[in-house]
Amino acid sequence: MILSISWRNIWRNKTRSFVVITAVALGICAGVFSTAFMKGMMDQRTQSAISTEISHIQIHRQNYRQENSLQLYMNESMAVVEQIKKINHVKGVSQRIIIQSMIASAETSSGVKIAGIYPENEKMVTNLSTKLVEGKYFKGVPKNPVVIGQKLADKLNVKLHSKIVITLQDMDNNITAGAYRIAGIFKTSNSNFDEMNVFVRYDDLSRLLALPEGASHEIAIFVDDNEMVDTIQSRIKELIPDYEILNWKEISPELSYLTEIMDMYMYIFIIIILLALLFGIINTMLMVILERRKEIGMLMAVGMNKIKVFTLILVETVQLSLVGGVVGVFTGGLISKYFETHAINMSMFAEGLSKIGWDSMVYCSVEIDMIFNVTIMVIIAGIIASVYPAYKALKYDPAEALRME
Amino acid sequence: MSNLKIAWRNLWRNKRRTMITSASIFFGVIFATIMSSMQEGSYSTMVDNIVKFYSGYIQVFNEDYWDKKTINNTYEITDSLIKKIEDVEEITHYAPRLESFALASSSDITKGTLVIGIDPEKEDQVTGVSKWLTKGSYLKPGDQGVLLASDLAQYLQLDVNDTLILIGQGFHGISAAGIFPVRGILEFSSPELNKVIYMELSSCQEFYSAYNLVTSLVIMLKDHYDIPIALKKMKESIQSPYDIMTWAEMQPEIVQLIGSDRAGGVILKIILYMIIGFGIFGTVMMMIQERRREMGVMVAIGMKRIKLGNILFIETILIGFLGVFIGILGSIPIIGYYFNNPIRLTGEAAKAMIDMGIEPLMTFSWMPSVFYNQALTIFILTLFMGLYPVYKTMKLRIDQALRA
Repeated sequence: MILSISWRNIWRNKTRSFVVITAVALGICAGVFSTAFMKGMMDQRTQSAISTEISHIQIHRQNYRQENSLQLYMNESMAVVEQIKKINHVKGVSQRIIIQSMIASAETSSGVKIAGIYPENEKMVTNLSTKLVEGKYFKGVPKNPVVIGQKLADKLNVKLHSKIVITLQDMDNNITAGAYRIAGIFKTSNSNFDEMNVFVRYDDLSRLLALPEGASHEIAIFVDDNEMVDTIQSRIKELIPDYEILNWKEISPELSYLTEIMDMYMYIFIIIILLALLFGIINTMLMVILERRKEIGMLMAVGMNKIKVFTLILVETVQLSLVGGVVGVFTGGLISKYFETHAINMSMFAEGLSKIGWDSMVYCSVEIDMIFNVTIMVIIAGIIASVYPAYKALKYDPAEALRME
Repeated sequence: MSNLKIAWRNLWRNKRRTMITSASIFFGVIFATIMSSMQEGSYSTMVDNIVKFYSGYIQVFNEDYWDKKTINNTYEITDSLIKKIEDVEEITHYAPRLESFALASSSDITKGTLVIGIDPEKEDQVTGVSKWLTKGSYLKPGDQGVLLASDLAQYLQLDVNDTLILIGQGFHGISAAGIFPVRGILEFSSPELNKVIYMELSSCQEFYSAYNLVTSLVIMLKDHYDIPIALKKMKESIQSPYDIMTWAEMQPEIVQLIGSDRAGGVILKIILYMIIGFGIFGTVMMMIQERRREMGVMVAIGMKRIKLGNILFIETILIGFLGVFIGILGSIPIIGYYFNNPIRLTGEAAKAMIDMGIEPLMTFSWMPSVFYNQALTIFILTLFMGLYPVYKTMKLRIDQALRA
């Protein structure tokens, strides 16, 4: 009964209801879309960090991550890699030699992190081979190929097939240098990564460092199912209990933290939008009861009890905001859905975004949870907005209200 | 004047409505000012971290240096260059620098790092390096030691009085190697600076065999408003083989990053103000509807429609101003407090920001534009909303209005 009365009431003054509904719809639509946009941006950052930078799981010697010492290598890494490869859902395993060192071109030099890798293994773990903008992945150069980032290549002022020199301290603390030729240049969405990381072949680096055969500092593992990371991590812990085995959240806790904080930030944003809408809704409902003073007085005079009058106003307000909310969620959802497959191009800010590791082609990411929560929040906002006008309506004196013109 | 007075009185005929509407504007303004203030504050922290602590507002390079950053593209500081710089009165301080990479090593840990040769006294005037010193002592003129930034010191596991080995490539390919005692540890707020080595200029020149040569002169001004003037004057007197660059030219990514963030903020504010706009529009509609009869009477007894429209227009704008006024008034203490007590982030939040190369500090800006931009927005918004009652009075049909 009340539902249908209130529904009809809404459409008695079309323009007025339309203004409120449009405001709610626009606000919610914008809220839903920006949330999906931010979420998409965050997901992309996390995804690219996992697939190009840190992988799902990393294995080191205990204390290696604190001391960064060349001496803290794992010696039976080959056998370990073979064992891990057999675990289900493990897509790739790559052992690496890691050294922080200096790289020099004919003109200038820079500090970098050098990773000695097996290209075929690394391909299964990081997607670097797909990020090449020039040259080939460790191919096209007869000896000592190196793959470097675009940003570093610009900094060193080198091109494909240029010679660069890596200077480092070997196992016996001697300073040695090796000449490498650039086989490929990669460009990821993170320019800091491109500037700081250099990849060479495992054997080339191992020889230069005089490392014992099969030694490596890091084993990176890529898993084909995100849900399986923890299970696989504990399986590996059983296999090699003496090493430090960390998943991506432990290696880079700030990544998942960033996602969380962004989620919170987006909810705050939606709450702010709703608060702003609240005032508009209250205003409109006050106008509504003022206009219907006589009518409400009449209803009360013929015996409608106060609870029903209150409910009537409340339901009307909730309906009003919910219509706007549903339209907003729906359009916002549709727009975001469209941009899930069509990237939003922000390349005018590409260099700036790349500096903090973010992609400039953004794909939205719509979450059903979020849409559901927003709808609930709209209903709550409607209820809150109705309290004051409904209370005002109850205060009417039927005798007086009836005498209104 | 009388129009304004009538409009003002009209506003208070329905106090509640006026209050609710201004409350919604108040709320929007508070949010928008705080958001703008935080954004602008973080931008200035970012810029300060670069300009005041490292790059200065302007730098003078060898004209080939920016494209090929090698120690071979350096220059000698001549008296005539110094004179030309001192002639520009906007320049408060300047400092010479020799920058190049080297392999830094403790016993068995090495890392490629940036080595910056500085004139201890002049550098301190420009970028205030000594205030970041947490341990040990600052460099003295002719000092043979080095200062290590804290992240690097931690990586190399070095402390004050330990020995650092540097190996690199000097001027025209001469090999450079040396052993240096660590004089002090610097802890910068900027994550990017936190991995460099500072050395006294003359020992740095000796290390790289780049005698009397520098890569750049770092120029400090009173503030960034002086950049265009100083730049123009410098460009007139200092020409080839020198090149002059501002911090924005040297750090285009930062300028872009700020641009993208600002654009994001503008979108959020547009959404917010759009909603507030609808709220105001609702009020205006209600006002017209409630007073149709009154308006009809007024027009019937001979009030000019344009005057009536004018009064309603002023009313709308007054509501807007009222909201903006209390909004700004309300935001001043909040922003004032956080301006003086910036929020220092800790834990994971801090790590996430350091990871992006940003100092984990939430600062607020006290810039007037943070405040008057909101006032301006609301003013323009109400200007548009105010047109609606004017339109309505013009179209008012007296016969119907009187019967309302």
